[in-house]
Amino acid sequence: MSEAAAGDELLSWDSRARRVVTVYVPLALFVIVLLFPFYWMAITAFKPDSEMEDYAHHSPFWISSPTLHNFSVLLFHTQFPRWMLITISVAVGATILSIFCSVLAAYAIERLRFKGSTHVALAIYLAYLVPPTILFIPLATMVVQFRLYNSPLSLILTYPTFLIPFCTWLLIGYFKSIPYELEECALIDGASRLQILRRIVLPLSVPGLISAGIFAFTLSWNEFIYALAFIQSTGNKTVPVAVLTELVTGDVYQWGALMAGALLGSVPVALFYSLFAEYYVSSLTGAVKE
Amino acid sequence: MQKMDHLTRRQSLILGAGALGMATLPRRGALAATMEAGVPVADVKPPSFAIEKGATLRVLRPAKFIAPDETWFRANTKKFTEQTGVHVELDFISWEQLRPQTAVTANTGAGPDIIVGWSADPQIYASKLVDLTDVGDYLGAKYGGWFDLATLYGTKWGSGGKQWIAIPLGGGTGPSVYRISWVKEAGYDKIPNDLNEFLTLCQKLKKIGHPCGFALGHAVGDANGFANWLMWSHGAYAIDEQGKVAIDSPEMINALNYCKEMYPTMIAGTTSWNDASNNQAFAAGEIGLTFNGVSIYYVLKNSKDKRLNTIAADTNNVLPPYGVSKGHPPMSALVINAMLFQHSKFPNAAKDYIRFMMEAPQYGPWLADCYGYWSNPLKAYSEMTIWDKDPKIAAYKEGMNTPYYDGYKGPISANSSALAANYILVDMFAKVATGNASAKEAASFAAKQAERYYKA
Amino acid sequence: MLAEAGNAMDATTAQTAVLTWRLERRPDNWVTRLFDNKKFLIGLCLAPAIGLLVVFLTYPLGLGFWLALTDSTIGQRGHFVGLANFISVFNDPVFQLSVFNTIFYTAAATVGKFALGLWLALLLNHHLPFKSFLRAIVLLPWIVPTVLSAIVWWWMYSPQFSIISYILVNVLHLRSTYINFLGSAWPARWSLVAANVWRGIPFVAIITLAGLQTIPPSLYEAALLDGASPWQRFRFITVPLLLPILSVALTLSTLFTFSDFQLVYAITDGGPFNTTQIMATLAYQVAIPGSELGQGAAIAVAMIPFLVALTAINYFGLARRKWQQGPANE
Repeated sequence: MSEAAAGDELLSWDSRARRVVTVYVPLALFVIVLLFPFYWMAITAFKPDSEMEDYAHHSPFWISSPTLHNFSVLLFHTQFPRWMLITISVAVGATILSIFCSVLAAYAIERLRFKGSTHVALAIYLAYLVPPTILFIPLATMVVQFRLYNSPLSLILTYPTFLIPFCTWLLIGYFKSIPYELEECALIDGASRLQILRRIVLPLSVPGLISAGIFAFTLSWNEFIYALAFIQSTGNKTVPVAVLTELVTGDVYQWGALMAGALLGSVPVALFYSLFAEYYVSSLTGAVKE
Repeated sequence: MQKMDHLTRRQSLILGAGALGMATLPRRGALAATMEAGVPVADVKPPSFAIEKGATLRVLRPAKFIAPDETWFRANTKKFTEQTGVHVELDFISWEQLRPQTAVTANTGAGPDIIVGWSADPQIYASKLVDLTDVGDYLGAKYGGWFDLATLYGTKWGSGGKQWIAIPLGGGTGPSVYRISWVKEAGYDKIPNDLNEFLTLCQKLKKIGHPCGFALGHAVGDANGFANWLMWSHGAYAIDEQGKVAIDSPEMINALNYCKEMYPTMIAGTTSWNDASNNQAFAAGEIGLTFNGVSIYYVLKNSKDKRLNTIAADTNNVLPPYGVSKGHPPMSALVINAMLFQHSKFPNAAKDYIRFMMEAPQYGPWLADCYGYWSNPLKAYSEMTIWDKDPKIAAYKEGMNTPYYDGYKGPISANSSALAANYILVDMFAKVATGNASAKEAASFAAKQAERYYKA
Repeated sequence: MLAEAGNAMDATTAQTAVLTWRLERRPDNWVTRLFDNKKFLIGLCLAPAIGLLVVFLTYPLGLGFWLALTDSTIGQRGHFVGLANFISVFNDPVFQLSVFNTIFYTAAATVGKFALGLWLALLLNHHLPFKSFLRAIVLLPWIVPTVLSAIVWWWMYSPQFSIISYILVNVLHLRSTYINFLGSAWPARWSLVAANVWRGIPFVAIITLAGLQTIPPSLYEAALLDGASPWQRFRFITVPLLLPILSVALTLSTLFTFSDFQLVYAITDGGPFNTTQIMATLAYQVAIPGSELGQGAAIAVAMIPFLVALTAINYFGLARRKWQQGPANE
């Protein structure tokens, strides 16, 4: 896929200095501002407690005596590895379920043209009108009735409520970019619709699927209130909830371990993104094309 | 004794099992000479709970603030399992997550058998809790009686202190925590009880560059604690005995004006402080005086950092200034209560667990190692020698010996928790302190706010 | 319409796929005929998504509405009280303040996110070294769990320990006292907006970047030949062609920001004296710690008309457009 950005050709006649000022400097500023809190997180995670608030004796920008103590507390004195595993499986599970539902729904809306398809599409967005901060109590009641209380499965089933709308929209857009003529040919040749979906549409929309998957994975990973309400035992918690529970003890924040938890808690998703960044951007491209 | 008859009847009514040999109920100061694990106890036989076969329990309680809290609790729980064969799954969750989790449990009928919840929770969930009067009466009889605050929170409001619906495990208080040397430098040997002198102390501390700091932001424990102190030290209170809002009173105006004068002596930013802020500031040497639980002192004392140990040696904890309050310091406690929910399949096992955890061989060491973080609800535990070992934690000994509570003097209910949870009083003081409202405006505004909840 | 170069490759793959299935004939029986029946297929395809949403959304939503009409507390089922909760809540100055705060927070954060996000997207659209790496790392603020980045921001806004203040006071010597970020009304509001914008820029930037890449370079070339200035190129080419994608991103972003909870809860919890109390945090505070479930539900339900209005504005105002109606329009 050619990345011939429009700007590149236009500015080719501009001076290099102008490019530095209008492009590189702002970009550098953005990167600094966006990443500074991570720098802060990172050095705090490696800092011993004694240096943390003592700005008079230790510059807050560096670490006088870096330590792995916070990480060892996190990894060996809490159930962090287990929480990681649970969070990953919940995110993966919810993502797979959402993508499955969204693919079918998007295919129906976009390809199986029917009256009111736009209304159905709109109705799916209505899911975002429902604020979760109060909903968790009635939802918890349901979770109990389904005997899913305290099980990560409850999260896998409830997260799609806020994942499906966006994924559906993304996939609708992406399906649009696949020429209908391909399907028409296949139809004429006698293929069933499901075969078309399986053999033609899906393979062509792999980047879109990846993109939707990444989005869904991220949102599941970050979710807090449902994970807080539906899971009670320490061993079954997800990372955001568990890290806060274990490391904020009353009015004493264990900053070092907290930041270590924040770092480690972002690593899987960041890895995911770095592997698929190319796909992510270019596939969103497909989604927005008219 | 009348009480003895009452108890015996109740016991046989509820349990229908075994005869209770009741000794004469000991008065405080005339306790029986028997000592059990360092605690003077009366000779009372525990009620026998027929523990259900194959019983297992799930218990949820607030997270530790220091390791011994959890270590001892788990050790005691393990002891219970060894003695009774009942497997107990114990979970600790953060303070703020406790409320939503309790709500979910209460509303869905699923979840832990026992939840150790906050202050007014038993009153809020009263209809969903198992009656614990047998446990409550037994413990009171054996350990010299319950402190006022324990009875206030543990018994159903309106039952005259008779019907126990929860067993208070302890209360966290927030007395004065200060730097000895700096207060001396400001010209005071101890924290004055007179409010004018206290204000002068704060002004002098500010002058020497070691200001005080009290939370005025939405800090769940510290801010409500400070607002309560301001109120009660001036003789003001939020709700009267009939449950009518009494915020707009001359005493409250005095308290508000006092707060306005205190604010400039504080370090900057207290209107955005949360519960951890004053701990942080004190440990960093930014403030010289605040109200807090023993967490500040404990962390400083037990830190591996020499610098913090030095600060600990210079730190002391005393009861907050009395002001016009007579007999008791104007301070309440954040009480945790063990509640047994009706959906529990093994109520007898649960009751025995609660009883067991409050008995001297278990409760004593836990209380001791928590180093004053929890104040005991049963009077006999005040006689333990731990309180003498470190004079600096004496201020935490009688924390539950107080008539004050959130929503004093009105009924304890969902309404009183609404008062604290919505920071009605805290915001009132914060507005006046920062000059955003006059005392009268803030008081009448807060009164209207409170009336929205207390009208029901 | 010009097809992306990538499509050429896709078409080849498709043709291969078409050729492949040709090799297998499938049996012709009532099952396969059923699966070809359009109506059945539509129902089948929509069933999982709609089913899940109906089961896990409509019941709780209905229950939420119901709770708002009762005087339930958190421990006690309540009785029907009609609109009493709503009346009481609407007359509450704290609620009114929270409405203002929420609208301000959403508006300011959205403007910030989109202005900066768009700018970042334009920057990333250039030919740059380490482009993939850059695009990955600018996503970090969005990746890290909100609740954890929120406490980092809390520390960065601390009146005593802020690293920002440290830089300004101890390093650059531009100020003599630390900044009181969260201690008074407007500084606290702007601080929260800043934290939200920080979090939201990557999302907007990446989506906008995708949209930018669909704009054919030939359009810019043609405009350049006609003598258009950069601003004119931006205004007459970039913006109109980005509008569809922007409107969707705008809808989603405003919905998410309006019902945002974690950030405000973790940093100020509505303080000082409710000047940063937004509707979502107020609803939670009243319902759970405050134990007034009915009133909290009423506040939460009161959010819905705003969310509907936001969606409607976007749908009818900006997106009443081809992108939703299918490819026939190009």
